[in-house]
Amino acid sequence: MFGEKVIELIKEAERNRGTLDQFNDETIRQIIEEMHVLFKLNMNDANSTTENKSLWTTVQVRHSALERNKRCLLAYLYNRMNKIKTLRWEFGSVLPPDVRELLSDGEYDWFSKYSTNLATYMRSLGEDIGYHGIDLTENLRPPKSLYIEVLCVSDHGKFELEDGDVIMLKKNTRHFLPASECQTLIRKGILQQIV
Amino acid sequence: MFIEDIRNDFYNVVLGNRVLLLVHYDVDAICACKILQDLFKCDNISYTLVPVGGISELKSAYDENNEEIKYVVLVNCGGTIDLVDILQPEEDVVFFVLDSHKPTDICNVYSDGQVRLIYKDDEENIPNFDDIFRDEEEEEEEEQEGREALEAVIERRRTRKAWEERRHTLMFNYTQFSYYGKPSSCVVLELAVRVSRVDAGVLWGAAVGGSAQAALAVRPPARRLLDMEPLQRHVAAASRGDDQRYAQVVVDKDLNLPLYRWWSVESALRHAPLIAPLLKLHTASGNARVRQLLADMGFPLQQARQAYRSMDVELRRSLLSSLEGVAPRHQLPPPAHTALLLRRAHAPPVPALDAVYAIMALIEHESIPREEGFQLALASLQVCGENDSLKQGIAAAKKSLEAVARMSQSTLASRGLMLAGPFNYFIVQEGATESLSLRGPLWLGEAARWAARAGGSRRPLLASSPLSDGRCLLLGIPPRFDQEPRNLFGAAFEQAAAKSGASVSLDYVDTSVVSLPIAQRAQFLDALTALLA
Repeated sequence: MFGEKVIELIKEAERNRGTLDQFNDETIRQIIEEMHVLFKLNMNDANSTTENKSLWTTVQVRHSALERNKRCLLAYLYNRMNKIKTLRWEFGSVLPPDVRELLSDGEYDWFSKYSTNLATYMRSLGEDIGYHGIDLTENLRPPKSLYIEVLCVSDHGKFELEDGDVIMLKKNTRHFLPASECQTLIRKGILQQIV
Repeated sequence: MFIEDIRNDFYNVVLGNRVLLLVHYDVDAICACKILQDLFKCDNISYTLVPVGGISELKSAYDENNEEIKYVVLVNCGGTIDLVDILQPEEDVVFFVLDSHKPTDICNVYSDGQVRLIYKDDEENIPNFDDIFRDEEEEEEEEQEGREALEAVIERRRTRKAWEERRHTLMFNYTQFSYYGKPSSCVVLELAVRVSRVDAGVLWGAAVGGSAQAALAVRPPARRLLDMEPLQRHVAAASRGDDQRYAQVVVDKDLNLPLYRWWSVESALRHAPLIAPLLKLHTASGNARVRQLLADMGFPLQQARQAYRSMDVELRRSLLSSLEGVAPRHQLPPPAHTALLLRRAHAPPVPALDAVYAIMALIEHESIPREEGFQLALASLQVCGENDSLKQGIAAAKKSLEAVARMSQSTLASRGLMLAGPFNYFIVQEGATESLSLRGPLWLGEAARWAARAGGSRRPLLASSPLSDGRCLLLGIPPRFDQEPRNLFGAAFEQAAAKSGASVSLDYVDTSVVSLPIAQRAQFLDALTALLA
């Protein structure tokens, strides 16, 4: 039966909607082989039987199967491409190695290009108002407040904010700072957010 | 200079700028700071908050954080010292001073815009500018010849001398007592009212700050009443309307026993700073007197000794009225007062008085460092949600009150209250079990007031407790501190230090507290006796 493999492929992708699977090289190779076979058979039949119209139906069925395979393959790839796009927003420009393994070479090329494009775009943003780009991936949802209250839990020394202010991070002092600037220091364990 | 309008001249000026908040370690300052923080948070004013314990800490905190800072707000510190002279700030840095310590330094009062004092107290008799400062240049007038000129010079010298004498008396009268003004938290409450952002948190902060001055007896009762009047008005205004709010501050008649809701009635009576000293627990008949009191109130010992919350409901309800009924018979002061309580849904009410003691115990905890205690104290002021810091504070406050009671009773019982000419004094010995709890000025002051009440004499009292590294803390409380808490020891310590040559550190913001090496304590006390005799 034509097109069985491709349905398997689509079903497999359908089963894990949220996550990205290993790129299914083997099945895709088999599908493309099947398509080559169908195409050759069609070519033979079409060339030999220009007069004989009885084979036309067969050719038509094979052609539909071919087109269906193509459409399903494209759907599979497109679906993966969308998932890879969200990876860029979630993980940033460098993928963790275990995620990297799931991508085919072609997909990885696409990912790098997408990444570069996005970076170029983000750098170009806000040039007219004097900013050197805006990191669009920083707040995917609007933050609850721009400033957060933090307690300094270890002596860190001076820390320069983006607007040029210098603050002294010393143990047991409290600060009310822009949330974006504190994130890294909170992760490092120098600051602690007070809720 | 004093600012005219707290909203336009203070809040709107700092709006949109980075602010450095320097906050002293005391209950009122922490409450004021909590209210200010809430206001700053809503307006996205980014700030740096540094707690400071003394003048040297104030200086180092300013030096560390002064980069790019144009506005500094000082809460309960800095008003009594010449800020410009001590901190050496840049020309364009502005200090807003909210300090309940008085008298305010005269240079701060007449500063032309760099130091701005947020609240003007009417009770301060600030000398006029012309009486204190005088242009030196007008002295150097053109030289004239002859006898007339000579007369003019002599005349000028004479007026100058008279002026100097007058200045000296004025300054002496102005600075001879140290005392406290209106609580800073109540001033900040006014600000919150002006920007229409009064909620339970703000009211609670002001209530605790205001009650602190009552608990520490640093303000005359009449003044205290006037301070609390606007607060009670705002509390009444806020409680109008729906009762379904999560947290609410209410005014109610309540017992003046700290922490009795978290203790047993007997323990609360034994440790109440206003009642227990008068029961003379250090004498042999002290325990009998407590039992007599409980019997008169109609409380079986078994009930009085178990936790208040598990006590018989009838007894719990009648506690206030029965204690009020028997107090005159035992020559006790009226045990009820107008209290501010925080009522929350599904939680026992918290009196502001208990929060005061909890915060005191947190910032002068026997094991927690002061800086961490400060953070806990700020957290304990939050009004909604589970408040672990407050529970921790209340547990610590019980321990500290017990230490205060034990210390002052053992001092009185062993005749440790010494008489030295014009004043009494007692010393907490190094190595005593209570010395760790009493090494801060707040709790040592509590012990001193306890001893003064129990001792019953009308003399000023000094108390001293050991600090680390061979130094000790020395503080003085005036006679009749309940009625007239103006403290003469600030100026006296300064002069005695100069005379005795002891290396006394006058670093504390409250000038009636000093620290000095233990070895020089006797010498210093001798100098003080000679001075005050």
